[in-house]
Formats: sequence, structure tokens, C-alpha cells
Amino acid sequence: MYRWLSLAIALAPALAHADQVAPPPVAPPDMSDQAIGASIGAATGGRVTAGGLRVAGHFLYQLSDRDWFDGSALFTFGGGTAACFRDRTDAFICDHGLAQGDSIELEAGVRHYLGGQGEFWPFLLGGIGLRGVDFSSDGVNGFALGFHAGGGIRASVSQGVAITAQGELELGFGAFNHTLGIEPQLGVAITAGVEFRL
Amino acid sequence: MRLVVLILAISACQSSDVSRQVGARCDTNADCDVKCLPPGGDFPGGFCTVLCDTDANCPDGTRCIDEQGGVCAFSCAADPSCTFLGDGYTCKMVDSHGGGAKVNACIGG
Repeated sequence: MYRWLSLAIALAPALAHADQVAPPPVAPPDMSDQAIGASIGAATGGRVTAGGLRVAGHFLYQLSDRDWFDGSALFTFGGGTAACFRDRTDAFICDHGLAQGDSIELEAGVRHYLGGQGEFWPFLLGGIGLRGVDFSSDGVNGFALGFHAGGGIRASVSQGVAITAQGELELGFGAFNHTLGIEPQLGVAITAGVEFRL
Repeated sequence: MRLVVLILAISACQSSDVSRQVGARCDTNADCDVKCLPPGGDFPGGFCTVLCDTDANCPDGTRCIDEQGGVCAFSCAADPSCTFLGDGYTCKMVDSHGGGAKVNACIGG
């Protein structure tokens, strides 16, 4: 009896201390409730989806322990030559390559952290965006609604500064001129960026 | 998931037997990569093509025929091979350009 009582007294401070230990973080500890960032990379296009150099600006706002709103402005620069024609049935068809056309898109998305180790924190992302697309060589342009889904990783490089790498699939539909009407949007984007806490 | 399948299906369906290089309808050269053989005569609806000296200058499935200094046209075995070009096109034996022989090509008129 005396032995058990001594053990309980000895362990009591340790147990009390354990109660006070904070739970492990579920998102990067250095991530503040707001941040801005910029990224650069490549986006693939095709047909009437613009592809080429991808440049983006981001604003991040914390929604929960693991989730941040990611408001982005995405710019795609592909340029290119004319690739639209009339087939034998007189239907207007565009057959642009992977890196042709230009677009600008405003996207609202969510970044969800999966839990990380040390400086590295993987995340999933999803969002929806409104995109203006232009293939100036063909006089083809239109507006598209796009859905984004992908993932990436964030690595802290100093207090308040982090670098990111992410890849995403972009799907949607757009309405275009030149009798094209409703056309699908399909592409993949891979970017790397830097973020600064506010 | 259904949206992904739908978009992929629509994307896959939009292929064409012709291109801006050879076979597309046209009114002017601006409708083509290189040259438009304007509507009427041997090329109903207009016909995009490329200039050539020999068959080696032509894309797969086309031959260099002796029209307008040498242009590429779809080769064929019989009239049904030309139906994808629309009404007015049939398989005809014409002079090849640069080879001095006869070849079968889809021509209108």
C-alpha cells in the first residue's frame, strides 16, 4: 500500500504536466491567418484550353485549424499560331496545342493541410474559377467555368516565408465565339511559389 | 467523377479527318496554314493544301499532284475513300508532280 502511494505521488507531477502539453499542430506552425504569395510554372492546354507559362498571385485566409481560403488570380501565356479551321461539314474546329492561347482566371479555393513533419506540410486543394480565354491568332475567345483539384507541399524557409510546389487538374466548360459554342476545358498545371505571412 | 468522364468524352470526340494543313474548307489563304485552293472547279467548298515538289513534301495519306505548280491532295483507292471530303469529290487518276507518273487522288469537279 505504501509502495503504491509513493508511486502515485512520484508520478503526479508528470501526469499533470502531460495534461498541459499542447496537441501537435495540424497545419504549419508558422502559418498565420493571412498570407500572400506568388507562383510560376506551366499549364497544359489543348483545343480551346489555353496552356503555357502560368503565373499566379494568391491570398490566403485561415478558415479553420487545417483549412485556408486561397483566392488566386491565374494568368496563362501561350501565344501561338492559328489552329482553327472549318472541316468538310463546315463545322468550326480548333486544334490548339499544349502551349497555345492566353487566359486570365479568378479562382476561389480551399487549401487543406494533411499534417506534416518539421518544415514540410503536404496539402490538398480544390476550387472553382471564372476564366477568360483568348486565342488571338484565330480570333477565338470566350469565358469558362473551371474546377480545380490537386495537391502540393509547403516548406518553411524562415519565420514568415515559405515555398510551395503544387500540381492540379483543371476541368470545366466554356462558351466560345465563332459558332464553337460550349467547349470543354481540360488541363494540368504545375507551379512553384513563395508565400509571405501577413 | 461524371463531370470528368463527360469532359474527357467530349474532348475525345472532336477529331477531324482534315486540318488547316490539308483538307479544311476555305475561302482564302488565311483559312489555311499555307494555301487555299478556292471553292469551285476541282475543289468544291475550297481545299487547304500545302505546296510540294514531290510526295516527300506531303503529309501522310496525301500525294503531290500536278495542280497549280504542285499541291498535296488525299490519295485514294476508289470513290468511297473520298466521301469524307463531301459531295463532289471522287477518286480520279491525275498526274503526279515531280514523279512523272499517274496517281489516284480525291478531286472534285
